[in-house]
Amino acid sequence: MTAPVRALDASRLPTTVFDHRSHMWWGTLGFMLIEGTTLFVCVASYYYLRVNVTDWPPEPAALPSLFWPTLHVAVLLLSLVPVALADRAARRLDLAGLRRWFVVASLFALSFLYLRWKDFESLNVRWDANAYGSIAWMTAGFHGTILMLQVVETVIFTGFLFSGDFDERHFSDATDSAFYWYFFVGSWIPLYLTLYLSPRL
Amino acid sequence: MTTDAIQLDTETLERERRELERSWSSRPGLLGWLSDTDHKSVGKRYIVTALVFFLLGGIEAALMRIQLARPENALLDPDRYNQIFTMHGTTMMFLFAVPILTAAGLYLVPLMIGTRNIAFPRLNLYGYYVYLIGGCLLYAGLLVNQAPDAGWFSYVPLAGPEYSLGKRIDIYAQTVTFTEISALITSVEIIVTVFKQRAPGMSLNRMPLFVWAQLVTGFMVMFAMPWVAVATQFLAADRLVDTRLFDPSAGGEPLLWQHLFWFFGHPEVYIIFVPALGFISSIVETFARRPIFGYPVMVLSLVITGFLSFGLWVHHMFVTGIPQLSESFFSAMSMMIAIPTGVQIFCWIATLWAGRPRFRVPLLFALGFVVVFIIGGFTGVMVASVPYDIQVHDTYFVVAHLHYVLLGGAVFPLFGAFYFWWPKVTGRMLSERLGRWHFWLFVIGVNLTFFPMHQLGLAGMPRRIYTYLPETGWGTLNLVATIGAMTIAASVAVFLVNLMWSLSEGAPAGDDPWEAPTLEWATTSPPPPYNFHLCPTVQGRSPLWQRPADQPVVSGLRTDMREILVTTMLDAEPDSRMRLPEPSVWPLIAAIATGVTFIVLIFTPWGLPLGAVLLTGAFVGWGWPRGKDQRLQRSEERRR
Repeated sequence: MTAPVRALDASRLPTTVFDHRSHMWWGTLGFMLIEGTTLFVCVASYYYLRVNVTDWPPEPAALPSLFWPTLHVAVLLLSLVPVALADRAARRLDLAGLRRWFVVASLFALSFLYLRWKDFESLNVRWDANAYGSIAWMTAGFHGTILMLQVVETVIFTGFLFSGDFDERHFSDATDSAFYWYFFVGSWIPLYLTLYLSPRL
Repeated sequence: MTTDAIQLDTETLERERRELERSWSSRPGLLGWLSDTDHKSVGKRYIVTALVFFLLGGIEAALMRIQLARPENALLDPDRYNQIFTMHGTTMMFLFAVPILTAAGLYLVPLMIGTRNIAFPRLNLYGYYVYLIGGCLLYAGLLVNQAPDAGWFSYVPLAGPEYSLGKRIDIYAQTVTFTEISALITSVEIIVTVFKQRAPGMSLNRMPLFVWAQLVTGFMVMFAMPWVAVATQFLAADRLVDTRLFDPSAGGEPLLWQHLFWFFGHPEVYIIFVPALGFISSIVETFARRPIFGYPVMVLSLVITGFLSFGLWVHHMFVTGIPQLSESFFSAMSMMIAIPTGVQIFCWIATLWAGRPRFRVPLLFALGFVVVFIIGGFTGVMVASVPYDIQVHDTYFVVAHLHYVLLGGAVFPLFGAFYFWWPKVTGRMLSERLGRWHFWLFVIGVNLTFFPMHQLGLAGMPRRIYTYLPETGWGTLNLVATIGAMTIAASVAVFLVNLMWSLSEGAPAGDDPWEAPTLEWATTSPPPPYNFHLCPTVQGRSPLWQRPADQPVVSGLRTDMREILVTTMLDAEPDSRMRLPEPSVWPLIAAIATGVTFIVLIFTPWGLPLGAVLLTGAFVGWGWPRGKDQRLQRSEERRR
């Protein structure tokens, strides 16, 4: 028995797509919005607490140091280069290029761990000294969880690139990983301005 | 993308069906059950779990009502009473209302838009386990006399380290964190599913209103929940590592907590209410037997409600001494949000007016919603006015208002939804007669319980007191309210009996018992693991009412693996194919790692490094692809 049916034939549709055509891109965007909101709440709280006091930073806190945090920002911006190159390699489906640039990106990622440690030190205040210290530590800490996520993801993904399990679908994952990296770097800039420069104003 | 006439012979169809069955079924055994990523299984687990918490929260409510039935009652001492009302609020808001209303979306949205599973099915399972761990943590606290006792919004300084010793508030903070993680995950899944997996032809302006409601809710969750997630971490840090965020002696600010909490807390009310509006639209449309009146206006109202809900939070803080300008602004906003809701109510009335309504139980609950919710809406406009709010703040008037809004706005629609979709989920009808008993007992019970509270509030009875003196004259109305609460309990008992009865005795439902217009009724009841044998396409807003004879189906998706069709965001044109992951036990492992992390954080900051290690391990295990499984390899070889 047969029944003629009109059908949309999906069999020739692609299975590797990038950017807004892919699920993972939207999922990544969703989590960026969530984490972006989280950081926004921290910054909003920072300025809310600031209007409570006349001196900012209040005693016993000193002004935050600028050297390490500024260096960190510079390194973050520099890291965009290998990540953008990895992004492009993935779109060309160029596994060798992707591997190369992800190794470089991993080295950058590992350096962020040390630099974030220096960021905390440069605040020149303990978290329990006063509300200023608390909110500064919390803000850098919340971004620190994103940093941790980024480091782990990058290093693991690099390892995965060299394993036998990589197939074509994962090129799209690599571009989403780069997409998240741009967010991770971009979201630190307003926090850097808030935590390290705004107390000087 | 072309539409071709193809021949589908019964043999091929049957082979494909068997293959789909094999590819999409969960694995056998306990491990298979624990790793089942079908959106319907996960949705059902959420709903059952949330119902258990609803009953627990209801028992707490009953205990409070018995305690307050007469003056100077000694059933509960003040400390226990504090714990009970805090547990009641926390349970109902975080463990019942939000999870069950979003879980309805997890279950129904993929069916309504004609796809095989939700986006990110493993993440979905993880979200459920995290929620379950959060709920268990809260009740474990109750068992060891460490239940939170500072109210569901846990104001500092009462909830701060100075005035709340022990671990009660820390348990509250981490419970909230768990439920936030789960809700945020759900929001991302729903949004991506709605944007990328709609059946070809279901452009945004053809989406069922329920799907619109879930989409709006998803965005509200995304922008509201992070506020309370940050707030509870601030609170936990103040209590655990001596940060001073809420400590005025060190430059901290207790009002910061209120701002953060209510910036979440007010949208939260609408996060509960908006999906319920979606239920009502589905029910009214089906039982009026005509398309909903004013579809574009309905969609706009949902979206506007979503936006406005973020501009109301300060009306919870009118007595905190904020500037008069803010008071006026937030007062105006609070009145304004009544408008889009009013518009929707008029559209439903118009739909019923122009239709041929069948007054079955789901529609009764929808009408009950309209009446009860409108009473709550009226008192809402009253308390939006600053002078009036100052007068009744923290009295039983507010208790009456919020219960009218929440029971009217969420629980009535939810019960209606149960009667409406239960046949789809279980394949059996609920009893109409028991349903009517349930409905009328519930209507009477709700009004008997909460209407007298308006008067109690005006007479000056404050919230959250464990007892009162006979001279206050509040005894009679309190007794009436308690009788009302028992009536509610009876109605819920009838409901549960109805569910149990239906599982064994209910009449078989068939695919579409209500002659409803949306796609979930196009498949069997209960739906198979792959939802649709042949994925549908649509040509209008009411696909099953306007189904033309030559409506195309989707062909060419692989049946030997979990492949779905991905469509474009606006017009839902076929764009690519995507393979969804197989079931996995890693979401459970990751959820346990998350649970251990936050529970250890209640006691020591060493939870942070421990959590970093555990979570890294769990997510690496989760994410590392395990090559191709053998079954798939065999089938690929066959293809070649």
